[in-house]
Amino acid sequence: MQQIRTCRQNSSRFCRQLFFDRVVRILSCGAGFISLGTLAAIFVFLLVLALPLFLEGQWGQILSLTWRPYQGHYGILPMIAGSLALSVSAFAVAYPLGLGICVFACGPGPRPLRRAVIAVITFMTAIPTVVYGFVAVFLLVPILSGALTGRSGPSLLAACLTLALLVLPTIVLFLYQTMRETEKRTRLTSASLGFSPLQALLLVVLPGSATGLRTAAIMGYCRALSDTLIPLMLAGNAPQLPTSFFDSIRTLTAHIALVVATDNSSPAFHSLFACGLLLFGMSLAVQFMIRRHDASTKPLGGKWLDLLSFLAGHRLCRTLIHVWSGTASALMLIAIGGLVVFLLRQSLPVFNTRLFFGDAPIMAAILGRAPVWDGIFAACAGTVALVALASLMAIPAGIGAGIALSQYLHGRLARALRFSANTLAGVPSIVMGLFGFSLIIFLRHTIAPEANTSLLLSAFCLALLILPYMINATAQALETLPEELRLLGPSLGMTSLQSLRRILLPAANRGILGGIVLSMGRAAEDTAVILLTGVVAQGGLPRGLLDKFEALPFTIYYLAAQYQSADDLHKGFGAALTLLVLTVLLYGGARMLRAGMENEWKK
Amino acid sequence: MKAWTHFVISLIVGVFLTSGFAHAGLLDNFAGQSGKIDIAGGTAHIPVMTEAAKRIMTANPGIRINIEGGGTGVGVQKAGEGLVDIGNTGRALSEDEIAKYGLVSFAFAVDGVTVVVNPANAVADLSAAQVQDIFSGKITNWKEVGGADALINLYSRDEASGTREVFWGKMLKKGAIADSANIVASNGAMKVAVSQDAGAIGYMSIGFVDASVKAPTLDGIEPSQDNAKSGTYKVARKLYMNTKGQPQGLVKLFIDYVTSPECTDIIAKAGYIPLQ
Repeated sequence: MQQIRTCRQNSSRFCRQLFFDRVVRILSCGAGFISLGTLAAIFVFLLVLALPLFLEGQWGQILSLTWRPYQGHYGILPMIAGSLALSVSAFAVAYPLGLGICVFACGPGPRPLRRAVIAVITFMTAIPTVVYGFVAVFLLVPILSGALTGRSGPSLLAACLTLALLVLPTIVLFLYQTMRETEKRTRLTSASLGFSPLQALLLVVLPGSATGLRTAAIMGYCRALSDTLIPLMLAGNAPQLPTSFFDSIRTLTAHIALVVATDNSSPAFHSLFACGLLLFGMSLAVQFMIRRHDASTKPLGGKWLDLLSFLAGHRLCRTLIHVWSGTASALMLIAIGGLVVFLLRQSLPVFNTRLFFGDAPIMAAILGRAPVWDGIFAACAGTVALVALASLMAIPAGIGAGIALSQYLHGRLARALRFSANTLAGVPSIVMGLFGFSLIIFLRHTIAPEANTSLLLSAFCLALLILPYMINATAQALETLPEELRLLGPSLGMTSLQSLRRILLPAANRGILGGIVLSMGRAAEDTAVILLTGVVAQGGLPRGLLDKFEALPFTIYYLAAQYQSADDLHKGFGAALTLLVLTVLLYGGARMLRAGMENEWKK
Repeated sequence: MKAWTHFVISLIVGVFLTSGFAHAGLLDNFAGQSGKIDIAGGTAHIPVMTEAAKRIMTANPGIRINIEGGGTGVGVQKAGEGLVDIGNTGRALSEDEIAKYGLVSFAFAVDGVTVVVNPANAVADLSAAQVQDIFSGKITNWKEVGGADALINLYSRDEASGTREVFWGKMLKKGAIADSANIVASNGAMKVAVSQDAGAIGYMSIGFVDASVKAPTLDGIEPSQDNAKSGTYKVARKLYMNTKGQPQGLVKLFIDYVTSPECTDIIAKAGYIPLQ
């Protein structure tokens, strides 16, 4: 009798386990399709809102060279040209530099110096875009106007140099990782052939890192093309075809940010969605390009190999390569050193409680009883609230989707999900902001006439922006676990949920946590999304989800363009340092967690 | 004795009462109120809005006032769409805008729009024709208008700007603005940009002019708010707050406050001529 009861209990427990297993499976697969759904929604919104232009036959209008909406000219060709000019020139500066830095980092130089270069490059990933822009406005632009005759003020050149610095870490880190792996694989071969380190680098490592060379190029270029803030702050924004480096130009991204607040039914408004579609299409194209090339992991060959062996064969060329890689690293170190020193010198003298609270009593300000008028406290609080809220939305969905991707989905579905996550990661943030803004307009005209741009909307759009990072981090953390660990659960007769909960997730938690912290850093620094979805210049502490809010990146952007006193300017520098410290802490934390994960499960 | 005490008491009470009245006024109407006001639009308005908000929120922390810039176009769009309570404009609304959105306007100040150059620039007077030629791109070097041999760097505002519209209509007579002009997003940004660029020329609200930029005389007339009010200087406009339909509750109190005599000091301090 007793036995039968236990048996029944066991069987019902087992049924319950199976039931939970299925629920979790469905939930996580459902979460997985959020990114697919979002991608589709963005596409549909852009298409529907750009459609009136095409239906009314205003193709010609859009594809013209004049942007003068007050005279009925809505040409976006100058902006396309501006985007191309800026991204290509920034890429042309950054890619050779990045290559040089990688050669230096893998080359025969002193080890501490090489490690220092990579450490600085890693640090650069944590510098918020708006901080690059802010420092460039006050450091680079005056230098350029002083050194070069004729033109002063914002220009294509200023934006190009700053943007090159911004995309440099993307290029270097992608390439460096591949090169280091190739180097490890081929170390013995090169040694046995009697190659010098530089010869090995040129004849074995570089040709063997063809995938890295390509991915770094594509990702770097994509980053340059999709940035909003650098051109908005530094390129002058004149809607004209660029003819020289000292011209003022406007990119598609900056164009969207500048023109979005216009009559909703005007052709100017609809033309923005054509711009958005173009940028969106670009991120799709990049995905296709990477996927196509990923299939072929062939090393470099043909002319490239001839060129490399020519370089390795001549002493002069070898010296030139040393000089070039050394110079590239030195230039990068000088630029970042200059940036950090300048920022610290300007902001440390004002980095005190007055910066945060102005003249308001501190305790009362923190408790929200006294409004802060001259400090950045409200902006800090806004940023914290924004990041927390966005993470809260993105974490469950991201982890669920990551689990589905690595455990439950296979074949075509998994490919579709992976594709959507990667494409979503490539959608420029200004397009995400545009999506959020049009979503509110849509809601107001349909089901929720009271809907408004707010903290909630900004957080939602930011969550969509960081969702792919979360998905990829989770999936990657689970997939890099050793095979024995994956088999352990099933061999003990565990259901897949049990194995996930008791074995895989605990083992992968550092990697997943690292992904979460990293995407928090990403959410903290983004400016383009919140620019369109509810940030204000003056508003105090956020009091509710449907309230407007202040945020640090926007405060910095706002003060860079329109500080009205020395006090304002100092506040801008202080805010820039605060944001930098915040992102460096988050990125540093993420790296430590990930390194811990690697140490734990390596071999 | 008794009469004397009475006199003193009534004197004290009288002093209290009058001083009470002198300090009270419209700001007292906000007592006990709570809620929020969203304001967006004209960037010339921002100093006035911020100062008024400061006074109101200091008197009553239960009220929350959000202030955004963006320019006149933003003010019309956001107030019209109901995204904000008050949309500021640096020009009168067009009939289309009133008809489409049902906006109601409240003017509170007079403001001129002036050409500004870098303080290092030697040019002290420009004619209207010269300004038109400079902005259309016909004149490209400062030496053609009596300055140093240096290229002219144009700064203009985006199409959402009321300042641009007034300047374009009244100063440039709706002539062309060269496509090569840099675009900045606010009056404040214009001041910063022109003050940092030796070859710059731009235009902005007279209220924003200070020592960091120079406003040359135009056809010999000094661009000042007094001249704008008297009509001697023609490139002027009123500054408006706009609401969708008649304002209610807190928004009405805010508009009453800004358009009342109590705010004239704020408006004058921001560099404008109050209408009251």
